[in-house]
Amino acid sequence: MAVHKRSYRGYSGQLTPLWTRFLIVTRYGFENVFRSKLLTALFVCCCFFPFGCAVAIYLNQNVQVLALLNIHTMFDVDGRFFFHFLNGQLGMAFVLTALAGPGLVSSDLANNALPLYLCRPFSRVDYVVGKMTILVALLSLITWAPGLILFLIQASLAGASWTIANLWMAGSIFVASGIDILVLGLLSLALSAWIKRRLAAGAALLGVFFFGAGFGQAINAVLSTHIGSLLNVGELMGSVHVALFRVSSRPPIPADLAWLSLLAICVFCVMLLERKVRAYEVVKG
Amino acid sequence: MSENGSGKGPERQIIFEDVSKFYGDVLGVNRVNLSIPPGITSLVGPNGSGKTTLMNLMTGLVRPTRGRISVLGIAPDQPEQLFRRVGYCTQFDSFPRGITGYQFVYSFLRLSGHRHAEAHDLAEQAIERVGLTEAAGRKVAAYSKGMRQRIKLAHSICHNPSVLVLDEPLNGLDPLIRAESIALFRGLAQAGRHLLISSHVLHEVDLISDQVVLLSNGYVVAEGQIHSVRDEIQDHPTQILIRCNKPAELASQAFQQDCVVEARIHNDGMGVLVKTRDADRFYLMLNHIAQNGINIESVAPADADVLSVYEYLVGSEESTK
Repeated sequence: MAVHKRSYRGYSGQLTPLWTRFLIVTRYGFENVFRSKLLTALFVCCCFFPFGCAVAIYLNQNVQVLALLNIHTMFDVDGRFFFHFLNGQLGMAFVLTALAGPGLVSSDLANNALPLYLCRPFSRVDYVVGKMTILVALLSLITWAPGLILFLIQASLAGASWTIANLWMAGSIFVASGIDILVLGLLSLALSAWIKRRLAAGAALLGVFFFGAGFGQAINAVLSTHIGSLLNVGELMGSVHVALFRVSSRPPIPADLAWLSLLAICVFCVMLLERKVRAYEVVKG
Repeated sequence: MSENGSGKGPERQIIFEDVSKFYGDVLGVNRVNLSIPPGITSLVGPNGSGKTTLMNLMTGLVRPTRGRISVLGIAPDQPEQLFRRVGYCTQFDSFPRGITGYQFVYSFLRLSGHRHAEAHDLAEQAIERVGLTEAAGRKVAAYSKGMRQRIKLAHSICHNPSVLVLDEPLNGLDPLIRAESIALFRGLAQAGRHLLISSHVLHEVDLISDQVVLLSNGYVVAEGQIHSVRDEIQDHPTQILIRCNKPAELASQAFQQDCVVEARIHNDGMGVLVKTRDADRFYLMLNHIAQNGINIESVAPADADVLSVYEYLVGSEESTK
């Protein structure tokens, strides 16, 4: 047996906290995402609607403008306003996710790159959280963050009594955006993990929403029921929004059932990720 | 303080105790028992023999179905401690899109928990060690195969690990870089590190290894120093090449010995290739022959290399399939 003198000295200094390491993946992921001009342009476009809403809220509270138009108020800033604002932004968020999400995991899996990440003090959970954070941050910037800014603008203009009476809307904006971001992010990552081609994964995400909606409608029409709407992820989100923003319309699916369905989708996506995000892959046959 | 690297405690060895890994009904490795001391250990075996599985098991990327693994006293399911001391160079070419060589090494150092300044210094040192300083600022996508291998090597050695696991590290390297890499491995091993290398380039395995582990179909068929392994293969007579001035006379005398099963003149006519079942006895006999006027220039085993042992042990199993 060879006898060697141990002359090296390993690193024994301080390391950064383990819980912050996923942010490294997020940071590099962000750089990649914004390398695409199309995505960057779309992201900028996502800011137009909130900006327009902010201007509208300002004008709605501006006495001179209202006097000029000879009206008492242009619109009410209530649950319905934020419900429509969030629905508009979620449409954009969906397109953004369909473009940015599919490449997040698929490129690593296609290149067998997961061992690279996992042969560091870095777990599969850290990896998924790191990738998920890219989407969470991206979508937050166009959903609840501008939503809360609009709420604050309205609050500052309308006064304390309005703010106190409508404080629940701030919570609704955050929770509704949160659940939608979670569902969109997890769906996108799960599809990205199972479909190695980026374009195909993007198409699959569109398929889940549009094919699911169509199939659900067909079931509803054939069976004269509303149960098919459970396959319509967009409608599930809508039902949750209706309940959270206390909008008077009656959704086809009760809110609690919609909550449960969205939770089930999230759990299913986590299971798909757990199955696929591994350091190795067994190819049989 | 330097320590003697030949220590046998579990904190100085990589230990596999009755380790098996099944991927569903696919066998990865079965009943592996190994104690790997510091130095260069080569894993040799055909595709699908379990080399990468063994490496993945000891780095915790795959959990064993049965058995226990200890890497310098650390269980592979403790990644925070394990990967402070282990560096892994996978066989796959996989790099984040658009990243430069420097960023590749630096970003994974950040992932290991090093702060910016340390990560920067360590990345530069590692890149310098593999001779890629000039290309460090270029994108990895523009690297040649050999440069990619070297940047992966830099990525695995950058945090100064005690154990280096290198999956096919010599693939795609030109002879010059290959020689430099082997010298680097030697240097790392001489500093008392464990190097586990899998390779198909058997003559290089011979050159660099302190010991070998031969794998076939998920089983360890032999392990240890290559000469010890060769000595234990009783089925195949040992081949010895004797360079001398009178090969015909030597062949005739050698063939009269009952321990010699074959003696033939070497192709170049400058020596005799002898096959014997008792090498020690033959060497004793050779002393007598040398005193009978035959001038012997050199005596060397002709099949105590990894290639021959590999063919004897693994090749025969493959051919019986």
